[in-house]
Amino acid sequence: MKKSFILAYIGQVKFILSGLFIFIFITGCSNEFLDRKPKGQLTFDTFFETQDHAIWATNAVYQNFRSWQMCAFPWIGITDIISDDSDKGSSPNDALYVLELDDFTFNSTNTAFQQAWEGHYQTIFRANLAIINIPGIDMNEALKNRLVGECKFLRAYCYFRLVQWFGDLPLITRPLNSDEYYTQTRTPVAQIYDFIEQDLLDAIDALPEKSDYPSADLGRATKGAARGILAKLYMVKHDFAKGAEYCEAIIQSGEYSLLPRYADNFLRVGEQGAESIFEIGAVAVNAPVAGPGATPYNMIQGVRGVPNLGWGFNRPSDNLVSSYEAGDPRRQATVIYEGEVLPDGSTIVQHNSEVLNARYNQKAWVPPHPGLQDNGPGNIRILRYADILLLAAEANNEIGNTSKALDYINMVRARARGTNNFILPNLTITDKDALREKIYSDRRSELAMEEHRWFDLARWGRIADVMGPLMPGFVAPKNILLPIPQSEIDLSGGAIQQNPGY
Amino acid sequence: MNSKYLHAIFFLLTLMPLSAWTQTVTGVVLDDKTELPIIGVTIQEASTDRGTITDVDGRFTITLEKPDPVLIFRYTGYTAVELKLDGRTELEVKMTEAAFLIDEIVVVGYGIQKKSDLTGAVSTVKGKDLARVATSNVEQALQGKVAGVYVSPSSGTPGAGAVIRIRGTGTLNNANPLYVIDGMITYDASLVNPEDVESVEVLKDASAAAIYGSRGANGVIIITTKKGIPRDRAYISGSTYYGSQQITKKLALLNGAEFASAYNDLKGNAFFPDPTVFGAGTDWQDQIYRMAPISNSTISANGGSDQYSYSFSGNYFSQDGIIKNSHYDRLTLRLNAEYKLTPSIKLGHNISHSTIREDAAPDVVGSAYRMPPIYAARDSTGDFSDPTFFGLAIANPAADLFYKSNHHNSGSRLFGNLYVDINLFKDFTFRSNLGIDRVKKSSRFFEPKFEVSASQRNLNDRLSVGIDNGNEWIWEQTLTYDHTWNTDHHLTVLTGYTAEERKFESLGGSRENFPGTAEELLYLSAGNDTTQMNYQGAGDEALTSNIYRINYAYKNRYLLTLSWRTDRSSRFTKANRTGNFPSGSIGWNIGEESFMKQFPWLDRCKVRGSFGILGNQAASSTYPSTGAVTSGLYGVFGPDESLNQGATLISLSNANLKWETSRQTDVGIEMGILDGSIELEVDWYNRLTYDIIAAVPIPDYVGSQDDPVVNTAKVNNQGWDITATYRKGGKLSYNFGVILSPVTNKVIKLAEGRNEIFSAFLQGEPATHTIVGLPIGAFYGYKVAGIFQSQEEVDQSPKIGGEKPGDVRYQDTNRDGVITGDDRVYLGSPIPTLSYSMTAGLEWNGIDFNADVVGASGNKVFNAKETFRFATYNWEQHVVDRWTPENQSLTEPRITNGGNNYRVSDRFLEDGSFIRLRSVTLGYTLPKTILSKANISKLRFYVTGTNIWTKQKYSGYSPEFANGSNSYEVGLDFGGYPVSKAIQGGVEIQF
Repeated sequence: MKKSFILAYIGQVKFILSGLFIFIFITGCSNEFLDRKPKGQLTFDTFFETQDHAIWATNAVYQNFRSWQMCAFPWIGITDIISDDSDKGSSPNDALYVLELDDFTFNSTNTAFQQAWEGHYQTIFRANLAIINIPGIDMNEALKNRLVGECKFLRAYCYFRLVQWFGDLPLITRPLNSDEYYTQTRTPVAQIYDFIEQDLLDAIDALPEKSDYPSADLGRATKGAARGILAKLYMVKHDFAKGAEYCEAIIQSGEYSLLPRYADNFLRVGEQGAESIFEIGAVAVNAPVAGPGATPYNMIQGVRGVPNLGWGFNRPSDNLVSSYEAGDPRRQATVIYEGEVLPDGSTIVQHNSEVLNARYNQKAWVPPHPGLQDNGPGNIRILRYADILLLAAEANNEIGNTSKALDYINMVRARARGTNNFILPNLTITDKDALREKIYSDRRSELAMEEHRWFDLARWGRIADVMGPLMPGFVAPKNILLPIPQSEIDLSGGAIQQNPGY
Repeated sequence: MNSKYLHAIFFLLTLMPLSAWTQTVTGVVLDDKTELPIIGVTIQEASTDRGTITDVDGRFTITLEKPDPVLIFRYTGYTAVELKLDGRTELEVKMTEAAFLIDEIVVVGYGIQKKSDLTGAVSTVKGKDLARVATSNVEQALQGKVAGVYVSPSSGTPGAGAVIRIRGTGTLNNANPLYVIDGMITYDASLVNPEDVESVEVLKDASAAAIYGSRGANGVIIITTKKGIPRDRAYISGSTYYGSQQITKKLALLNGAEFASAYNDLKGNAFFPDPTVFGAGTDWQDQIYRMAPISNSTISANGGSDQYSYSFSGNYFSQDGIIKNSHYDRLTLRLNAEYKLTPSIKLGHNISHSTIREDAAPDVVGSAYRMPPIYAARDSTGDFSDPTFFGLAIANPAADLFYKSNHHNSGSRLFGNLYVDINLFKDFTFRSNLGIDRVKKSSRFFEPKFEVSASQRNLNDRLSVGIDNGNEWIWEQTLTYDHTWNTDHHLTVLTGYTAEERKFESLGGSRENFPGTAEELLYLSAGNDTTQMNYQGAGDEALTSNIYRINYAYKNRYLLTLSWRTDRSSRFTKANRTGNFPSGSIGWNIGEESFMKQFPWLDRCKVRGSFGILGNQAASSTYPSTGAVTSGLYGVFGPDESLNQGATLISLSNANLKWETSRQTDVGIEMGILDGSIELEVDWYNRLTYDIIAAVPIPDYVGSQDDPVVNTAKVNNQGWDITATYRKGGKLSYNFGVILSPVTNKVIKLAEGRNEIFSAFLQGEPATHTIVGLPIGAFYGYKVAGIFQSQEEVDQSPKIGGEKPGDVRYQDTNRDGVITGDDRVYLGSPIPTLSYSMTAGLEWNGIDFNADVVGASGNKVFNAKETFRFATYNWEQHVVDRWTPENQSLTEPRITNGGNNYRVSDRFLEDGSFIRLRSVTLGYTLPKTILSKANISKLRFYVTGTNIWTKQKYSGYSPEFANGSNSYEVGLDFGGYPVSKAIQGGVEIQF
């Protein structure tokens, strides 16, 4: 009795021990049991290993140009709205921080600066990752060089925008380690320029011309795009000879031409067209959430009210509307007025009692699309051939090639004129200063509401002259450079210094 | 009889010496009040394994083996009786329904303990004492039942649970408690039918919760479901109730005429020449709310023998929402059973399976609040009204309800555990417990093609379906040693090893352009395949742990508990994977000391103190340390504008992340006074949570989209848990209870070099400011100083710029002469400083009455929904008093659409205090003398009101509303599904 009792216990013990053994076998190799990885998702330790990874990492850099930070309020806010081209728009009290940009009552805590800064540095982060990691991938060499060239172009372009807004910048060329987060300082403008120049020169070497891309890659950065931004950089540095040289290279490449109809540039038909040197592709799909290829760019500027196409921000200003030469059809192609029939003839814009003296940016208008209001399909135009021709005119005028300057500006005017010979006559002025003024004003008329104006005023050194009289809040020279976001100053504990006056 | 007692019995059996002396005793056990026999009383001869139970007539026969036998009579809910036989062979034993069960057995983590031996802060709520509210789940039924447990029924969505905070909000992250249901660990207790609950134990302090280590920091709620009680036949009972719910109140908004008049003032002209023609207009709340039925039925059977015991229940709960088209129903089956395989081996299981169906209504609360009352739901042609005239995107809620309600979810959940208990050698018990939790959910949402307006339309009909699967298992091995020396030293040692794994997966897709809208066509295959979208996601995690606990009691007076848990989690990298969570506590049953005999009114008195360290694993995401590559970052290229896949690392991760940890101290005293008629329990606690996982702001130039999360912040909660009850038994029995839970919450530290976090941005300005020294998510904004009465006043006062007479004048708090963001200040806390409840019960001649009152005070509520004015929405009623040149209001500004008057200010901050009659019940139980002829042992009818009376200062539906899981953003009412009130009538029957 007692014996069998003990045996029974031993049996139980065996049972338990074998159970425990199985248990520890399953979970006991504890580290394997506990090593878990995200599912259905690449992780960084296995990324940048294949050609596809290289392509994807590059595409992701383009993608961020469609982010809110890079194409919505922050972007139009500190390019168009802050300039004399446009007002905030929308109902008077909607998005007061954008109103502060319009009337120069902002300070360094205005979220537009922080968002624009953040968006561009996030793009730079992605570009840095790609530029550093793609060279180590075993893949098609030509493609590898091209992808790195695309990323260098995009990185340089981000820095180019930032340096024009803010001046000296933290120059981030690789992902930072955690002990470097708070210690960066501002690199002087001249060195930022050098860095941009080198990136763009590398990109010009690495990138194909627009026509050399396979059709499916239409919209990627090209040799022409890199030359265009480099030409602008030289113009900013007042190196007009080099500016003219790089514009000339684009013109002589034969890759681009002006579209016969000015207004077509801003319609679907003009997207990635003959006149387009660089634009960010976007497409609307009918999705319940923000579409994977869409942007908020069209929504924020769309007609507010009836038809209900958007929020109605970025109102073409009275100053802009009155700046055109008499009869210049580009004004009509730039501005949507109340009572106007929309470009597709679909409907008439109704009066909206919520909006003061409503006007809308026609260049951001898109017809009804499957993305609903908030998933705009419009490509974001960055660089047009007309822009390069006007830059070429400006550069050539500065270095004394007056006739060339006249040729180029007259090409742009002729296209705008179309068949109406009563307007926009060919220019014949040869006085350098007078011609400069004409080039400047034509540049405004041609490129209005395309987010160039603030940069142009900056390049010409005219921000104070133009904005001062218009905006009582404007303070010179303080407002010529925008404030570094206050959060960057605070977080860096003084390593990042504010621009003067803020 | 449940397993707790069996444990105790088995323990006693091991002490038994063999003996040959026997004697037979018979008797009957009666209720001392009703004189009715009690069925199923356990009778045990002390210090032996001899025992029996009473039969249907309350009778028993037992053969005894000791020469001077002592019998112990036990029955749940009654005070145990210990009887020396003194030679009697025929007994009549009367048992008293316990006013308070002094020797109550309390379920603690991985075991049970006598309440008198507890050294930690553990509160017990018996299933029958849960709030009798109309609800599907235990969470809501816990409101006001436990000191230190703040329960906020967050939403009126059918089937919704509640937000539960134990001893304050201890983290900036997930602050939900852990649930342990019959030994199976989960964060979702929605499956438990309140009627299946035997008891709910809340482990509040570190000593009690530390055995759950890395998941104990927010407190642990242990739910024990009903177990079988051995008796000679099954005990069958049924219950059902049916009720009707409706909205607790309607919001006061402008009617048609008032709106038209306000609009005229806004425009500054007679836009509507005669506003009165609009009359009352449409009350959009009437368009979306309804009276809705709720019903619940349960049938259960319970029984067993000395070889097995079982408890079966089937429950069907059905609730229509007070918002049209919303519905929830659940069918739950539960089988708990235990089998004695050999004298030393027991096998048992607690298994439940529930099936859920849900109809989801679109979110129309906000649009009904905003929709101008001058529109009818449908215009004269029968089409839904298009309100775009007044500006942007207000969706017609009637149209949303019509077009967007084809949204059905269903699901099932198999939840439970299987265990084996082996009584090894003397004093040693081994338990192996396997828990499982399998969840399946599927959703179908069909949105037809429709167009109400440009902002309320769907150009292509679309069907979206999704399937979610979750699968979790836990396997625990524990070994318990339990021994008593010389009757003075009682030692229990627990050691264990556990492992668990959780996996989840979701799969779904959508297509457009269906050939029809008939239900049988609404499957993806019928849609246009060129429009298809699909997704699949998955995740997993694992945890292994060692647990240790020692309980030591000397003479039942001096108590010591030490516990330790080591957790290893897959969420962290190897170096940080292991966390240790120790705790210790002491108790002194001071009432047992001889010098306390001079206070005869004091039945018992215990003081106790504890200290321990707990973790909060839920604070981190599942893979917080892995650099995840984000895909879907498409580039758009080519003449056809194709989406080209894009992917990269967009945010920096932190491989050094580790547990969020909290340190808690607790000091408590428990007293029983005047024969247990007064019970008092007071605890003071201090909980410091540190290494709180928080995203630390880094400069934007680093380029990381999200700030990397690190272990950084510290939050302190300090408070009191006070429970006092008075019970009086007898023919007329009654009880009163009061629970008070004051708590103060304070942020001690945020990130390195960073002492503030702004959150809850409304129109670009933060409504909360989490800052060192203040509660988490403290409200922040401008203070209103008054209304500008004249242009002169505007000119002379500090202002933002652009103000006109009638506008709000904000306070220049920093006295710099202008109103800027620097004038924003702390406005109040969203966290109640005191939550309280009161319970009153009464029984007399079969009539029972019970009322539960709950309340909170000291918190503010931000009426965030009122601050959104992107267009001419309807206004709240107070706008009729608006400032006009003729009516120079001192409090209500002139009418505007957004703008300066709508900046985040104390104008929208309201007192969140409330007191609510959570439930009130009146019941009648028919006398047993009548029923026994019909073989019915109990028949009760009752009527219950849920939330039928509330006194609140807040203008919204309720100061209790749904908030997201973000602790920085609570107390902001954006207009969610409001809680309802209900009246239900029911019947309970037992055979």
